[in-house]
Amino acid sequence: MIKDLVIGMAGSGGDGIVSAGESLISACTAVGYHAMMTKSFGSQIRGGESSCRVRLATSPVLNPGGALHVAIALNWEDFLKFGAELPVDGDTVMIYDSKTGVAPNELPLVGITPAEVFSVPIGEMARNATGSERGKNTIVLGLLAGWFGIGGEAIINGIRKKFAKKGAELIQANEQAFALGVQYAEANPLKKSRRMEPPTRTGQKMLTDGNDMCAAAAIFAGCDFFGGYPITPSTEVMQFFTREVWKYGGAVMQAEDEIAGIGAALGASFGGKKAMTASSGPGVSLKTEIMGLASVAELPLVIVNVQRGGPSTGVPTKAEQSDLFQAVFSAHGDVVRPVLAPTGVSDTFDTTVEAFNIAEYYQTPVVVLSDQEIAQRKEVIDLIDTSRFTIIDRLRPTAADLEPYSRFRFTPNGISPISHPGMKGGNYLGSGIEHNEHGDPTASGRIHEQMNEKRIRKFDRLRKRDDLFRIEGDPDAPLALIAWGSIAGTCREALQLATAEGLRVKLLVPYLLFPINEGIYRRFFKTIKAGLVVEQSYLGQFYHVLRMALDVPAGVKPFCRSGSNPFHPSEIVRKLHDHALNLQQNGAAARQPQE
Amino acid sequence: MDTTAISSASTFASKDFKSDLKPIWCPGCGDFGVLQAIYRALAAVGRPPHEIAFISGIGCSSRIPGYTTAYGFNSVHGRALPIAQGLKLARPELLVLVAGGDGDGFSIGGGHVAHAIRRNDDLTYIVMDNKTYGLTKGQLSPTSPKGSRSVTSAYGSLENPVNPLMYVLAYGASFVAQGTPADIPGLSAMIEEAIRFPGFAFVNVQSPCVTYGEEGQQIKAHKAVMKKLETVGHDATSRIQALDKAQTYGQELLTGVFFRDPNPPPTLGALVKQRHEALMPKAAPRERILDSFVQH
Repeated sequence: MIKDLVIGMAGSGGDGIVSAGESLISACTAVGYHAMMTKSFGSQIRGGESSCRVRLATSPVLNPGGALHVAIALNWEDFLKFGAELPVDGDTVMIYDSKTGVAPNELPLVGITPAEVFSVPIGEMARNATGSERGKNTIVLGLLAGWFGIGGEAIINGIRKKFAKKGAELIQANEQAFALGVQYAEANPLKKSRRMEPPTRTGQKMLTDGNDMCAAAAIFAGCDFFGGYPITPSTEVMQFFTREVWKYGGAVMQAEDEIAGIGAALGASFGGKKAMTASSGPGVSLKTEIMGLASVAELPLVIVNVQRGGPSTGVPTKAEQSDLFQAVFSAHGDVVRPVLAPTGVSDTFDTTVEAFNIAEYYQTPVVVLSDQEIAQRKEVIDLIDTSRFTIIDRLRPTAADLEPYSRFRFTPNGISPISHPGMKGGNYLGSGIEHNEHGDPTASGRIHEQMNEKRIRKFDRLRKRDDLFRIEGDPDAPLALIAWGSIAGTCREALQLATAEGLRVKLLVPYLLFPINEGIYRRFFKTIKAGLVVEQSYLGQFYHVLRMALDVPAGVKPFCRSGSNPFHPSEIVRKLHDHALNLQQNGAAARQPQE
Repeated sequence: MDTTAISSASTFASKDFKSDLKPIWCPGCGDFGVLQAIYRALAAVGRPPHEIAFISGIGCSSRIPGYTTAYGFNSVHGRALPIAQGLKLARPELLVLVAGGDGDGFSIGGGHVAHAIRRNDDLTYIVMDNKTYGLTKGQLSPTSPKGSRSVTSAYGSLENPVNPLMYVLAYGASFVAQGTPADIPGLSAMIEEAIRFPGFAFVNVQSPCVTYGEEGQQIKAHKAVMKKLETVGHDATSRIQALDKAQTYGQELLTGVFFRDPNPPPTLGALVKQRHEALMPKAAPRERILDSFVQH
């Protein structure tokens, strides 16, 4: 019996690959497995190649997994386009449609011999059952149920639900297709049985993705306004708002461009309402001027960047973590802007609530750096208990503050009570131009210096918040992993693997990326001889941001590469191990002063 | 609150809307007259200053919110309209004014005007059209006449100017007027009417730049050449007639209301209110926002 199964499938756009993945994950949810599904497409609207990975397990799933245990190619051309996203190795069960004409001993997988290979007449079976090739995805579900023992009854229930509106005939045809798949698998058993252990999970679960959790968290946190513009892979955030926010008296503005989207959100915040915009790299580039305005006007605002491959249009449908520099530095003038990052679907909710709390408390724009993978992957997660959250609202002026009111009054912590239009006695001029405490425009060097000092000092408390970091593993370990965003999920599994292999490792996951909490890194680094800062980017941006703020031990190095080349937990362990060994063998290097 | 419902029996005077800030404008700038007209219009409308939000972009004229006692937001170049629309959607009860120059409205922010018009929220947009970039010292602007010489058009402009009146009329604005500080009573009356008008209302003010503007564009010249639309036989309920008259922009100075939709369409705010009334009673509390994701 196995506890963890990583399935990858690919086909052309009309093959219903993603739909099969959705049926599978929803069946897994119904029977009680933990599961995660990621989708990947070519950039075509219809047609072209599409793929998905489903990972199911009896314990929580931390990332989409490494090499596939089961690979399904409806045609080879499309399958091979996904390269490192659907890696096959010597442990993979490879299944493909015999229609492709490829002989099982001549697979187009250079240098790789899968554990088992099945050439299955998937298309033909679909035609026999449903009269068309459109049933291929249901055949695949039958094969998976037959060979790996996953969710047979639940998949049939899912089929009934899915086709309920399309009539009994279609339901029957798909049930027939499913049965054909199961029969095929039973007639052609695996050489080595790989049946999934029955699920052990308990408690209520949710099936959702990062973008929906982001939008839901925003509304839960009291957000009443969304302004934005469609862009992959963030659009689902706006879509959720357009369905839900009206119910709470709020509004959405799908703007004419990215600038108008954030402008409208800032206008709503000026009006005293919690507001948000969401985009991806190119859109955030357009928004940066108004992000700067929000910093100087000291207006709360949450900006979500669902990262994709950059620069420019880049790789819009794939995850990357290369917008950190943009999030931290894309302002002219001296600006500190908090940047947060979730690491998975569930904590996207927590991180977004936190982003609103920080935005409101500090009267500042806050960037949430999500990415395509966590934003768009479907995941079975534990129920989120909304009662555990505290919601923070901006500091409003008291009656005494209004006599007379100084919007930007210097206070001990740098945070000044904020009024909004409609509040009698709170009238002030908000502006991007430098202003005095009262809000009047000024070019005074003295006041400019004082205001910069106020706007930066107000984050002193944020820099000391250790609760925005997780440290996992052996606290005295000499080896370190540091990872943020979706890659942190991969590193969590790498930590488990490494610990099981006897390596002494600890992992630091920052949810607050900026401003840097120097204390927590200094304490973390005390025991560290060697380590990796893992990031899905070419430059290793977080490593560089860390080094700007503090002394990183010489043995800690970036381990990074561009998006579309996912990291696998085992290779992170290998890299950490080799890196540490190399340092040990080459002791002199470890003693060298830092570059 | 619908601004049209406000009674005209105002308890406010112009001085109640005048702030302590001293304008940075050059002596003789047309914007002084626009400011006076706005004070008068606001006094006539009678909303208290704290219920008014005045949003602007960047430029000489965009300094204007600071010279009033209303809430103001002197934002960034060209983005006053998006900010104002977000504010109005979030706080429909406010009276929201938007102001800026011709560069702000028809160059860097030109893309926003059409969308503000089609959304049709209840905003009043006042453009102080001086045909130059005054704050940056006299560059060519989107409304500078063809052939204009400036520091960025040493041999004369080769480009046709934007016609703000035709622009907003063509996109379907329901209220379009043009005034000049050469006639402050007329200007304040049309601003007052624009504020009271339900929906997006546009007032183009030919507001001369005393420093970089040409002789023929100064207040004295305006007084000599301006013609009130009511004196030239104009039906302001006809968009076609309004477009016809608007073609004279740049050659003649016609003032008054070009177009006033006799049957104004519902404002965005009114439509949002209807949607709220339909959806809000059925809403679960925010704490239950995750219910739909729970698997049973």
